[in-house]
Amino acid sequence: MGKLKGKTAIVGIGEVPTGRYHERAAIVCAIESCRQAILDAGIKKDEIDFIIPTGSMYSSPYNTEMCTSRIVEELGLARKSTANFQVFSGGSSTGNILKTAAGLIATGLAKNVLCVHSDKLATGISAQGGIDLFSTAGISAEWEVPFGMHYSAIAALTMQRFMFETGTTAEQLASVCVSNRKWAELNPNAMHRKPITVEEVMASKMLSEPLHAKESNMLADGGSAFIITSAERARDLTDKPVYLLGEGSLVTHHVFSQDTDLTRLGFVEAGQAAYKEAGLTPEDMDIAELYDSYAVYQLIALEALGLCGRGESGEYVQSGHTWPGGELPMTTNGGMLSQGHTGAGGSFAILVETVRQLMGKAGERQVPGARFAIETSTGGTYMDSHAAIFGNIIP
Amino acid sequence: MDTSTKPLPSVNSWTKPFWQGVREEKLMIQKCTECGQPIFYPRMCCPFCFSDQIEWMEASGRGRIYTYTIVRSNAPSSFIADMPFVIAVVRLEEGVQMLSNIVDCEPTAVYCEMPVEVTFEKLSDEFTLPKFRPAQA
Ligand SMILES: [Zn+2]
Repeated sequence: MGKLKGKTAIVGIGEVPTGRYHERAAIVCAIESCRQAILDAGIKKDEIDFIIPTGSMYSSPYNTEMCTSRIVEELGLARKSTANFQVFSGGSSTGNILKTAAGLIATGLAKNVLCVHSDKLATGISAQGGIDLFSTAGISAEWEVPFGMHYSAIAALTMQRFMFETGTTAEQLASVCVSNRKWAELNPNAMHRKPITVEEVMASKMLSEPLHAKESNMLADGGSAFIITSAERARDLTDKPVYLLGEGSLVTHHVFSQDTDLTRLGFVEAGQAAYKEAGLTPEDMDIAELYDSYAVYQLIALEALGLCGRGESGEYVQSGHTWPGGELPMTTNGGMLSQGHTGAGGSFAILVETVRQLMGKAGERQVPGARFAIETSTGGTYMDSHAAIFGNIIP
Repeated sequence: MDTSTKPLPSVNSWTKPFWQGVREEKLMIQKCTECGQPIFYPRMCCPFCFSDQIEWMEASGRGRIYTYTIVRSNAPSSFIADMPFVIAVVRLEEGVQMLSNIVDCEPTAVYCEMPVEVTFEKLSDEFTLPKFRPAQA
């Protein structure tokens, strides 16, 4: 058995609808998500001993409040909780929080860890403010910002090389958005639920070639939370704990243009480590909850994680295999392309969805009989690749 | 490009020879004197063998485009007037990679693995940027 396999489990999740909510403060999203997660877990709130908020990007003062234990006090955990600290690495925050929390629980240092995210990227900043924020966040001020680098261009640079090496077509990339949207149509918390076609994606505004506007994430307001505890405690609380079975990650760069394989990033190594620890193979996966700040990152993950052969992911998605009812449901909350991009919360929402599916609480979009799911996240300029495997049984 | 409002590079103390070099229209990279590896971007110590015995050398300025994009909309504020423009990752002959812009050609003429060579674009009295253009035959 690996270091963490089957030792910890997620027992409660919470989430508020994602979208544009001018009147809804970020702290409201955070408290509401935490409250839902605690009630979902059926745990007494006073049992929460560690609180790990991740970063919020729209407001530095709000981010500081979260770092300085605002959630502890709002939930009435002052003089009860042992620790509150931030774990933040942009989009991969969830992967790193999972490592941190599971490690703390496995060593006995923590008992019940509440992890929370909220942000206000749709209404907390202007549209151009969003572009400008994401043209400096994690992009090298010495080696890239002076050349006009920004996130659409980063995704486009990744797509261009991926298409060049794998032969993936523009229509196939657009079909990823269709797949995600089909899931979002079934997700009441998603921001965009109207059906979309490949033709509509292809006809949307060209941002940085070959990236279309509808292949980009949609900045959103939102929040979510989850509670992770020991496997023993989890079995007391629920008959459907969602066990962490394996995980892996690799940091591949800080400066985007230094990455030596944009067509795989670090997902080969991350996936291998996760499968090895879980004792499972790609064929065992019932669901692929893949991080999708842009469509190309789902295709990269499908191939690098061995869920599809090299150069085959585009056709696989285009053929509908990842849709509701398909053989490998993918990113079943609609992802950041449809549910919405809430900063670090994008991957939070995907993790929460992974757990929701394995708990059997996904409603209309429930994947019947799902036992194992692989989940991914990546942060900053795709500087790191994280994969985690969850199951509602320990194989 | 309109250079009046462009973000200037935020320079680290040990990278000054690079920025001095481009000001003199030389593309300077580092080379480790212990393991011989070429290094870019400039580091305080060798990322391969951890030696601090690093020297500067002038790169050939020739390379190939690893990947590129034509920015057509949603650029950062100070680049909106430049659209469409090309951002590319260039792999130099020496084996190091850098981000730059492809200039002196139609954006649509750019392709992956296109041979390119360095050219220099003055941003201010203090800063010049290394850009790349299609390699001359
Ligand atoms: Zn060396």
